[in-house]
Amino acid sequence: MAGPVISARELSLVFQTADAPVYALSKVNLEVEDGDFVSFIGPSGCGKTTLLRVIADLEQATSGTITVNGMTPQEARLKRAYGYVFQAPALYPWRTVERNVGLPLEIMGLDHAAERIAKNLELVNLKGFEKKYPWQLSGGMQQRVSIARALAFDPKLLLMDEPFGALDEIVRDKLNQQLLELWGRTKKTVVFVTHSIPEAVFLSSKIVVMSPRPGRIIDVIETNLPRNRTLDIRETPEFLKLAHRVREGLKAGHSYED
Amino acid sequence: MSAAPAIAATPVPREKGNAFPVTVVCLGILLAWYLAAIPMNWVITGPKIEAAGGGLSNILAFSWNDARPVIPAPHQIAQELWKSVFTFAPWMPKSLIYHGWITLSSTLLGFVLGSLLGVVLAIAIVHVTFLAKSLMPWIIASQTIPILAIAPMVIVVLGSIGFTGLVPKSLISMYLCFFPVTIGMVKGLTSPETTQLDLMRTYHASTSQVLWKLRFPSSVPFLFTSLKVAVAIALTGAIVGELPTGAIAGIGARLLQGSYYGQTVQIWAALFMGSFLAAALVWLVGVAERFTLKRMGVKP
Repeated sequence: MAGPVISARELSLVFQTADAPVYALSKVNLEVEDGDFVSFIGPSGCGKTTLLRVIADLEQATSGTITVNGMTPQEARLKRAYGYVFQAPALYPWRTVERNVGLPLEIMGLDHAAERIAKNLELVNLKGFEKKYPWQLSGGMQQRVSIARALAFDPKLLLMDEPFGALDEIVRDKLNQQLLELWGRTKKTVVFVTHSIPEAVFLSSKIVVMSPRPGRIIDVIETNLPRNRTLDIRETPEFLKLAHRVREGLKAGHSYED
Repeated sequence: MSAAPAIAATPVPREKGNAFPVTVVCLGILLAWYLAAIPMNWVITGPKIEAAGGGLSNILAFSWNDARPVIPAPHQIAQELWKSVFTFAPWMPKSLIYHGWITLSSTLLGFVLGSLLGVVLAIAIVHVTFLAKSLMPWIIASQTIPILAIAPMVIVVLGSIGFTGLVPKSLISMYLCFFPVTIGMVKGLTSPETTQLDLMRTYHASTSQVLWKLRFPSSVPFLFTSLKVAVAIALTGAIVGELPTGAIAGIGARLLQGSYYGQTVQIWAALFMGSFLAAALVWLVGVAERFTLKRMGVKP
């Protein structure tokens, strides 16, 4: 595809609440290119999830423009342009693993459901768990099912909202590694929301540092780390330098007034 | 009743299962019942006991064995139940099975119709905001009208246009039992979490896909809870529907005839038959619930 996958210009979003308006996003400018792995990082309330939800057409911006694949987010959503992974796995408890992964295929009426389900469960290393119900799986496995579900209809764009936020460090490291391999193999464009600096630096080709009240972008960092990385890269000077820059950005953007 | 404190004072057993406490409570109720029957029946049995010369043995003999007592003793009801259930063929008007079946058939028809109406109303209310605001007050108002006041009107009006027997009684059951289903299902259909609904939105799922693949499965536990309430009051509705017509068949008719002729034993036997039916129906819904939830893979 020619042109950026996501392009935002002067994007703002104001929530009208009972006492005062909340400026969730303020004049955000952003470009995401095809094949990028972009992380939004920042403290709670910086609008990173809101920005992702605007891209997904789950929220609407109050001013500015945004395009997804050259279309409005709504058109992109109606064309099923992206797969979305939520903070919670949001699996349907009455469906087995394979039927959860098959849910989007049923809804979109896509063929070759069995093959697609098998392929994507293999991609997230969950072969053999097809007939299990969500409550029979660990939190990390449930989140992997939800990633397989987001990939099931083969969207070019993957939107992930703190998918590993609720998992422990060890499981998170493992899933980060797997996600990176998956990104390398599928060549998808990934937009990833996180509040973990190591996670953002390890995964991303581009890190977007955000700050709260009003939610805005204060730094965009191109990482230029090799695409095939292992967890060991976190000990290298390049990695630490990037992490330091992210931390400095977060510090600069932090408001001490509240 | 007088023996109630004695029951409460019984120590709670530590063994597994509930057979023991249930037995203790049943025995306590029986004891209280037998004791209370003596003073309650005194109006009728008092003169007879005095005529027979008084004494404890006469008191017990007359208080617990009168043919038309104010309150029959438990064993009299048991005898009447045995007689009217087992000694007549089930299709004879003297058989309680016959009357039970008449009431059960209108209960089941009313229950099916009422549950369907309840589910349809709930689906409408959840999807159309305008209906939620306009229908809900009427639905609630419908349940504040005493059913005993409308039942005769419904029966008489329907009777005048040619509907008699099963259908009018079922309509009264339906009228009573749609309500808990509507309330439960509105709650159930709106129970999915925001992320589960957002997920459907990211797939650009249609309203009916969201209903059948998310809202309806989420509402199943709520549905069964409502159905248990609904099936019990559907039975009440069917019995109430039998009262104003002077029906000659059904548990309600049995109650009415019993009160016309002062046959208290018959009334109580019919009451017990009604309770057994209600308990059996609620149990059956419970079985269906366990089966369905198991099929849906709910954590045991």
